[in-house]
Amino acid sequence: MIPFLAQVEAPEYNMWNAKPGTPQLWMAIAIAMVVGFAIMVAMLYAPTRMRKPIASAAIFLAGLFWVLVFLFPQPIDTQVKVEQRPPGFVQGISFWLADAIPVVGTFANILTAFILGLGVFSLVRIHLLRVTKKQRDWPFSVVLLVSIVAMAFFGYADWYSRLGPNAQKIEESWPLTAYGKDLLFDGMLQVMEAAMFSLIAFFILSAAYRAFRIRSVEATILLAAAMIAMLSLMGAVVVGWDGWIEQVTNKDPFLTNFTLSSVSGFIRDNLQTPGIRAIDFGIGLGALAMGLRLWLSLERAGAN
Amino acid sequence: MDGVYYEKGWLGLVYTILVCTFILYNIARAKSNRTLFIRRIPGLNAIDDSIGRATEMGKPVLMVPGIGGLNAISVQALQIFAYVTKTAAKFANPIRLCCLDPAVYTVAQEIIRDVYQAEGVPENYDPDSVRFISDRQFAFAAGVSGIILREKTAAAFLMGEFFAESLILAETLNSIGAIQVASSTEITQTPFFVAACDYVLIGDEFYAASAYLSRQPVLVGSLVGQDWCKLLIAASVLVGMGVNLVDGFKRVPKEEGATELRFQTKDERMITKFLNPEKPEWKPAGTPDATNATGGGE
Repeated sequence: MIPFLAQVEAPEYNMWNAKPGTPQLWMAIAIAMVVGFAIMVAMLYAPTRMRKPIASAAIFLAGLFWVLVFLFPQPIDTQVKVEQRPPGFVQGISFWLADAIPVVGTFANILTAFILGLGVFSLVRIHLLRVTKKQRDWPFSVVLLVSIVAMAFFGYADWYSRLGPNAQKIEESWPLTAYGKDLLFDGMLQVMEAAMFSLIAFFILSAAYRAFRIRSVEATILLAAAMIAMLSLMGAVVVGWDGWIEQVTNKDPFLTNFTLSSVSGFIRDNLQTPGIRAIDFGIGLGALAMGLRLWLSLERAGAN
Repeated sequence: MDGVYYEKGWLGLVYTILVCTFILYNIARAKSNRTLFIRRIPGLNAIDDSIGRATEMGKPVLMVPGIGGLNAISVQALQIFAYVTKTAAKFANPIRLCCLDPAVYTVAQEIIRDVYQAEGVPENYDPDSVRFISDRQFAFAAGVSGIILREKTAAAFLMGEFFAESLILAETLNSIGAIQVASSTEITQTPFFVAACDYVLIGDEFYAASAYLSRQPVLVGSLVGQDWCKLLIAASVLVGMGVNLVDGFKRVPKEEGATELRFQTKDERMITKFLNPEKPEWKPAGTPDATNATGGGE
């Protein structure tokens, strides 16, 4: 879809794209727009009881595409030229699916771009109301609104000055818009995000203090395992402890299992990793079941 | 068709079909038999208590569906939040649902509005209760922390895909004494929630939540189907161990023609070859030595 609209050269032409500037390409864009508007109008004017079947059918078709991509035999080389592709029904379908993946994947990006507008609208509405009604902390809302406008203006202006029709080379000049964007993005946003991220170090400390207090048998086991894991990451402690064990036990094959690196390795490989894998299996199955229910419209969102 | 599944192998295909069959069969079973058992999950029992506490204090209930996009995880989180909202709506308790992803925000708005309508109190629905905060991770964390501190939320539900912001939110909530029920599908964040929150749903308990809360036959059947799948995986692990053990220790030819009894290397074992089919040689049609269309087979 993007190659259609952007009129750029595609690496390989197939039924999903066409050469820039050709009538074939413009025809495809026109048909896509007409079909898109027709679907929107149909959804708007469809009776309420019909909307769910229409939505279910759309979900099923969208899901079916990805199911086929997963289950259907895939071409070994998707970059092969159209005229060199092997003939046959199975091969035809597999290449058709492979060609369609970037196009279908782009649908989600286009939808997201539209929906982002809704999100920004909600944010602006809430904070404009807060400013107009002079609610508590309304000056912060002013800061947010000014920030949104300034970032959008400088971001777009900077992009236009670098990549637009009259793009300037950055080596030759450093336009005012670039200064503005750098100040807002690199000088403020990135720095503030780094500050938020750095808070985690202190939060880990306070959370760990509460979690590692000896209150029960489980908490004690957690504390012991955590202590071993932490100490095993301290080079000086590992060298000291492991060296002492080897010296005292005279490198006894059994007793050298009690070096810090061996014990922490045992905990990691035999206790932690199987636990993580078991949880991952559960999460994966849950996601698959949820996906299946959504695909077949068995899920009734919000109707608990 | 041989050789075309070189990337995933036939085993993945067979397992996917089996798993889907188990889940769909149990959904059908649950629709006819409503006595399927679900074990007690303490974190979910705490939901009503948390909302009750928020009602007593007259403070809002906070919900955050993670920072992932619109996918099965965020939809599941919104399913749980629909139940939380339903309970909150009964007591006319205010809610705050903060979203990072605009698509999740749009769906959340619809679901929460539907819940208020289903409860017969559409006038209590506040469109500003579902908020898009920011689509940047730490700006989102800062925004939600601000809401927590300004509005002093009494109960909070953090469920979905969380990353580094998980502890920022959990500790900010802890600092104001809010009850927290949390769950993350990200295994790296679960320990943070365990350390900082009052109740944590671990792993697939997150997906079991909607079945546990609503007892809808479709969800309960799906949950039982997942348990069957876990048994299948456990059995596969045991079978794999047995096959690997039996196949691993056998007589193999030595270079000079004699045989020896030894453990086979990983690459020599049958199970390795079975799970990792070799990618066949293939050349485009028209080039010398081109093989057949689907990739030349074995």
